[in-house]
Order: sequence, then structure tokens, then C-alpha cells
Amino acid sequence: MKYSEIKIRFCGIAGDGIVASGKIFAGACAKIGLHVMVNNIYSAEIRGLGKSSATIRFSTSKLYSMGDGLDLLVGMVGRESIIDLRDVKPGGNVIYDTSTIGDVEEEESLVSHITPEIQGHSLPIKNLANEATGTNQGKNLVAIGAICYFYSLPPDMFIDQIKTVFAHKGEHVIDVNIKAFNLGYEYFRENYPLNNRFEFDKNAEPKTLTSGNDAIAKGAIDCGLKFFAGYPITPATMIMEIAAKELPKLGGWTLQMEDEIAAIGAVLGASFAGRRAMTATSGPGLSLMSEMINLSVMAEIPAIIVDVQRGGPSTGLPTKVEQGDLNIALYGGAGDSPRVVMAPSNSEECYSGIQLAFDIAEKYQTPVIFLSDLFLGQRIETVTIKENVDRDRCTRKKPTQEQLENFQRYQITDDGVSPLIVPGEPGAVYSTTGLEHSVTGNPNYESDVHSMMTAKRFRKFESIVADLPHAVILGDETAEIGIAGWGSTIGSILEGMELAKEQGVKTKLIKSIMIHPQRENLFRKFFASCKRIIVPEMNHQGQYAALLKSRYGIKPIEIHIPAVNPVSPLKIAQKIMETNSELSQ
Amino acid sequence: MKHVIIGAGVAGITAAKTIKEMNRDAEVVVIGDELFLPYKRYLLTEFLCDSIKRDELLFFSVEMLKELGIKLRKGEYVKSIEPSEKVIKLHHSEVMHYDKLLIATGGSPGLGLVLRPFKKHISFYYSLYDTLLLKEKLPEVRKCIVYGDGVSCLDLICVLCNLGKQVTYITREERATFGLDEIDFDGELHEFLEEKGVEVITEEQVVSIEESEHGYKVETIQQRMLTTDIVFAWDYYKPNISCIEGSAIEKKLGILVNTRLETSEKDIYSAGDCVEIYHPNIKCYWINFGLPNALAQGEIAGKNMSGQNEEYKIQEAIVFDLMGKSLKARWWK
Repeated sequence: MKYSEIKIRFCGIAGDGIVASGKIFAGACAKIGLHVMVNNIYSAEIRGLGKSSATIRFSTSKLYSMGDGLDLLVGMVGRESIIDLRDVKPGGNVIYDTSTIGDVEEEESLVSHITPEIQGHSLPIKNLANEATGTNQGKNLVAIGAICYFYSLPPDMFIDQIKTVFAHKGEHVIDVNIKAFNLGYEYFRENYPLNNRFEFDKNAEPKTLTSGNDAIAKGAIDCGLKFFAGYPITPATMIMEIAAKELPKLGGWTLQMEDEIAAIGAVLGASFAGRRAMTATSGPGLSLMSEMINLSVMAEIPAIIVDVQRGGPSTGLPTKVEQGDLNIALYGGAGDSPRVVMAPSNSEECYSGIQLAFDIAEKYQTPVIFLSDLFLGQRIETVTIKENVDRDRCTRKKPTQEQLENFQRYQITDDGVSPLIVPGEPGAVYSTTGLEHSVTGNPNYESDVHSMMTAKRFRKFESIVADLPHAVILGDETAEIGIAGWGSTIGSILEGMELAKEQGVKTKLIKSIMIHPQRENLFRKFFASCKRIIVPEMNHQGQYAALLKSRYGIKPIEIHIPAVNPVSPLKIAQKIMETNSELSQ
Repeated sequence: MKHVIIGAGVAGITAAKTIKEMNRDAEVVVIGDELFLPYKRYLLTEFLCDSIKRDELLFFSVEMLKELGIKLRKGEYVKSIEPSEKVIKLHHSEVMHYDKLLIATGGSPGLGLVLRPFKKHISFYYSLYDTLLLKEKLPEVRKCIVYGDGVSCLDLICVLCNLGKQVTYITREERATFGLDEIDFDGELHEFLEEKGVEVITEEQVVSIEESEHGYKVETIQQRMLTTDIVFAWDYYKPNISCIEGSAIEKKLGILVNTRLETSEKDIYSAGDCVEIYHPNIKCYWINFGLPNALAQGEIAGKNMSGQNEEYKIQEAIVFDLMGKSLKARWWK
């Protein structure tokens, strides 16, 4: 068979080198100029206690999502892989380990669940790994070697990548891993000589790999992040790790605090002192930060809070994706508590979006909650990021000399934005508080002052709109079916639209990184042009749909997917087809 | 009642179908070592020549298997059988229980000690997998060497001739007879092949095969040096019975069965090319190769596994088409 796109999943238990398989595959594919996307799913427990999988999709064309059906499942551990068989396409393949020690009952055996539509291929993974490394390590390389032969991929792309990935471990580790790879390759060449062909342009330029978390950290640093404070939490920790490594080199600071409340407190303190500051957390952390975000609103202190969403509520599903934090991001504060909420849909937007978030936060003296999610944050993908490095940029509104002499921290202005200084600036007194206050920043509980200040804080949001990017409309403008989406679900929507287009059904999509506020005119025009509107999202309540309903008065067809895995494009395509049939009647 | 059938060839599949026809509720599991859905091996030649499409090779589609309620396990083989426990163990250490077991593992060509070291240079033409590999290779092939005996060897020579390849046939025998009784061929099979352009080299043996710049160099025992693009070779065709190693199931060259196709172990049956059936006329066990035998044995094994009591009547001959001419091959006179 000939392929131009393949989706593979490695499935095993923590410690089997599953995540490393994805990393090696992604690196190898990027080097030869393929588009690749890797999604890791692992248990929240420590090594040896839970299932782990890495799904790799690579193609000669641009990828927007993880797609549907697997072409190949590699079951490193039988029992744990049984459930993944349902994801294998008819005509797809399974590689299973035949070096099992001890008897396995029929029901517990991966092989016994392989249906006739799927092709099983045996490979003594563990035995060959032992032969190569003298240990159980290297199982992933045995499997990758077999896959390399199975799809006629050039072995050099993997050999080079093994050398890169294991460079820090020395020559011996590189040698035994290459041996493991070669043993897998030779086993398949001898036992399954009839292989498939993956066809690609051998002269394609190498591509760059990144993850959403990586892009957020890099984007923030490139636009002048000087201070990061955080508390480790899956799936956001990587942002702090990058900040800890990179900020000190640039004269910045990273602090690991005792909890999330302290982290956001430190961020507000650094921002109060004039630094671009950020924290990154996930749902449980955002809950804890709620009160301090309100302080950011009330005291008008710029702050960036990245929320890499995971399944909730409570501790929830630490290693699974969901888009369930929109409501807390929008409304999770006491009182009338306006805040900016943004949601990037891919890694490129993570980079450019976080820079926009900083500019908005600094200019409008507001917290910005930047809603990424586990799938977007942790997936590795080939991207083309347009770098924008300006670490000295400043969008804070400075007082004029006259304003400074009679400094009013919360001066009433047309756009709601007051001049901002750092405490200790000569000739001015900077008074601030979380209590309601007058223009000077002194506590004041009079009703007309509260009304005036509340109006001022909300007026900033009217002013922000002019600085916001326009929403983007993709697809066929003449389509009667419109889709509105947000965050990482956008990728699946785009591929779902393509599937529907192949069936002759036209659709269009409106997407914006801005969740609140939005430039509403384009949305209104878009919705008015649709006979049906579909809103798919990864939560149970339809949180974005609820926002759109209240804001634009639409009655959308909602797809609520409390997700564990990224949304299936096919599921979206099916809803489009159903909607189209209903429209045609 | 769980019926497990080892082998997804003609005999195994026929037995599975028969069991389901007799008892819709019977659980039937068929274990085949090939990667494909059960197919008609006797049509491989036509598939290789593009006379039929791949789908036409199949006994059953996936949907038909589902409809019949037959569970197929492809690409797997049985490592051992433990009749006392009524379990079989598969190559990946899976243990499967059975109530009735049929061994229908067929036969296959094999290499002797002389040729075994050259296995990687030898092409086979026995399974669908071999055929698919050949389909990829053959467009580049002009000259072929075929070394071996038996009906399948003759079949291969025919298909290569039909595809316009230059064929050299090497045999240890004095004449190219393929171990067949040529009673209906006027004893002129050898001459017939030569007339069709096949070079026949008799009383020779291949002893070495080496890769060369443009194919292979083949050396014979009489130090003849031949060049070719592809080499087909096998020394014998034998029943596949490695799965019964270590069990108490009686065997000679094949698994020994009575005319009810029962083996020496209770509730274990065997059918097709892997068995030696007791022949009351010659008072000895006899291997019956070929499609009609496999069909008949599969059906009888299926019936007997379902509680019937049928006896197999030994077939004496098979008939096949040889480049447009009918050839009846008899196993004995």
C-alpha cells in the first residue's frame, strides 16, 4: 500500500519509553520535512503503575489535529492495549510483543481481540531489546525499527535522531539503541518482507518542532517576560521549567512558590514593581488564584495567568484534556470583575497570542487569562513560528509630567486607562488597594465612587476592542452551515470541515483568539449569514456556546464532548452531515 | 461447546462452516498462520497472472465471517497442544481452551540441509504472501530456475511459462514427472514441457546459490554454473505438524487419523494435507494432498465434531489443468 499520511500509537506502561518513542519519531519526521503531530497520554501515577501512550501522526500535508483512526497500534504491553484496538482503522495494523513471560488467558490477550479487519504482526520486542541492550530498555527502538521497515521509511532519519536524543548519555547508550532499532528492522525485513510505501518529497526542508507550552514560554520571553512565579502542576509545569532555564540568562527571575496563591501574589508584586510577569497553572490552580486575580482587577495591576486546562472539576483528570475552565476564567471572581480571556488554537497562536496578551495586560492594566489546554500545551508539532523578539517593549501608559506632579493612580480617563508608574518614582505617591478606592487609590466606599470606578474598569474593555485582532473566517463564505469554535478544538473542526467538503457539504468557521472581549460586529454578521450554527467544544456544559448565546442571541447546535482525548474530526463531520440533511429536507 | 480449528485453509474453513451450519450456537474459532482472510490457494496462479482480482480469492469476506459467527484469528500459530487439559498455547503464550479441536494445518514445501543456507536467495510460491511478493518481483524477471518436485512445482512452471518467462527446470529424476502417474498424459509430460520452451535439466541437484550483480549464480552438483534472475527451490513437501510436538497425538510423517478423522487423542480431529489416513485397501496410512480431499475431509471433520458419525472415502486422483491440457494425477494405481 502507498501512504502519504500515517497515524501510529505506541501503547505500554510508564517506563516503557513510550514518550521517548513519540519524541524520536517527531524529531525524525521533522528532519526530513514531514508535518508531524504527537500526543502523549499517560497516567497521573508514577513509573510502572499506569498506562502510557504516544500517538504520532505524520504527513506530507499540513496537520491541524490528531485526526481519526490509527493505521498502526504498537502494543508493548498486551492487556493495556486492548482498549486501543477500537481506534485502529479497518485495514489497519497491530504490532504485538511475543516475548511475554508466562501464560496469558485468552480474554487478557491483546491478540485475541484483534478482529479480522485488522492485521496483527508479531515481534519479540522485549527479547530483541534484551539482545541489544542487555536490559528491558530499548523496546521502543525495536518497535520503531520494525515500523521503519514496514512503511519503507529511510532508516537514517531514525539513526540520526537516536544519536541526537541520546547524545547526552554517551556512545554506549547510542550504540545499543541503534542496535535495538536494527534488530527490529531486520526482524520485520525477514518475517514481513512485503512492506508498504510512505511516499514523500525527499528534498523537503527540515521543519521546526514545538509544543504549545514551549511556544507560550518562548513567546513570553521574546516579548519581555522578566518574572515568572508558579507552582508545579500537570500539564503546565513545562512552562515554568523553560522560564527557570531561560529567564536568568536574560536578567529575569523564576520563582517556584509554595502554592498557586503565593505564585499569583508574587506575579502581582513583580508587575506592581514594573516587570512583565506571568504565572502558568491548570484548573485547580486557577481556582486557588481567583481571589488574587480579583486583586489584579481591582488594583489594575497587569498580570498574565496561563491556564493549561485539564479534565476537572477538582483534581479531576490531571493527564487528560478538557476545555472546562472557560466559565471560571470568565466569571470566576467576586463582584463585577472584568478580565480578558484569550484562547489560542495552535502553537503558532500560543507564541503570537501570549505576546498580544502581554501587550493588552500592560496597556489596559488588567489580568489576562490565557486558556490553553493539555492537548495543545503538550502536543509536539511541526510549526512555522514567525519570531518577534522585542524584550524591551513597553505598553504601559506613562503619566505626563503634569500628571506625575499631582499623581492620581486611578485617574478617570476616557478610555478607562489611568497613567501607571512604579512605586517609589520620585515626586509621586502610588497608593493602591484591593478595597474600592478613589482616584488617588485611597479606600473609599461611597456609592457614587464605586459606580464611577466600576464604570472605569469596564470602560477599559470598550477601549480594548479597538486593539483586538479581527476574528478569522475560514471555509466557504457562501455556506449555510457555520461553525464557531475555540482553542485546540479548532484543529479538529478544520479537518471535520474538510471531511464534509469531500462529501460535497460546504461550511464556514469563525474563530478568534479573543474570547472576551470580542470584536462583535464580525461575529454578528457571520451568525446572520448562517442557517445553522454548530458549536463543538470539549466540556459537558457547552460553556462557549452559552457565552455566544447570551452575547449574540443565537441558538446553536451544540456538541459537548467532556474529553479525554482530542476531539475526533469525524464526529464533527458527522454532525455537519446530519445538519445538512436536516437543512435539505 | 467451543470448537477450535487450527488452520484456515480449505479443510479448516470447510469444517468451521459445516459446524456452524449444523449448530448455529456453536462457538467456532479458526486460527490461521497467514496474515489474510481465508483464501483459495488453488486460485493463486490465476491471481498471479491477473486473471482474477484479490477479492475473488477469498472464501469469506469479513462480513460473511461475522454473519456465520466464526471467529478468525489471523497471523497466529499454535505452539503446543495439551490434550489432557484441553488447551492449546499460541506463539505469544496465550492459552485457549477447547471442547473439540481440529488440526488442519496443511503441508508446505521445505528445504533440506544443502539448500537451507541459501534460503534468503530462494523465492517460494506457496502462499498468498509469496504470491504478493512475486507480483512485485516478476516484472523485473526474465530468467527463472525452478528446482524441486511435485504438483505445485509443475504448477509454478506453468504459470511462469504463461507469463512469458524463460524457465529452466532442474530435477534429480531421469525425467520430469513431478512424482505423478501420467496415465492420462501418454507418459510425455517431460516432452510436453520442452515443447513449451522449458529447459529441463535432469539428474542434477542445486548445491549453491549466490547473489550476483544481476541476479543469482546457481551451481549444481555436477558443477554446472547457471545464471538467473530468480530461483525457486524446495526439497520436499511435508505436513505442518510442529504444533503437536510434545503431545501424545500419534504421528508418522503426518498426523495419524482413522476414517472418521479422529486422532489418537479424544476430541481432537485432523484433516487435510497434514494427515495420514488409514487406508483399508492398502492396509497402511496414506497422505491425500489436494483440494478435493481437503474439502471432503473438512466437511466430514466438521460433521463428526458436531456429533455425527461419517467416514471419509479416500480419493484416488486429482485432475488439474496443465497449460490447456487436462492432467489426472493418481496417488496409486
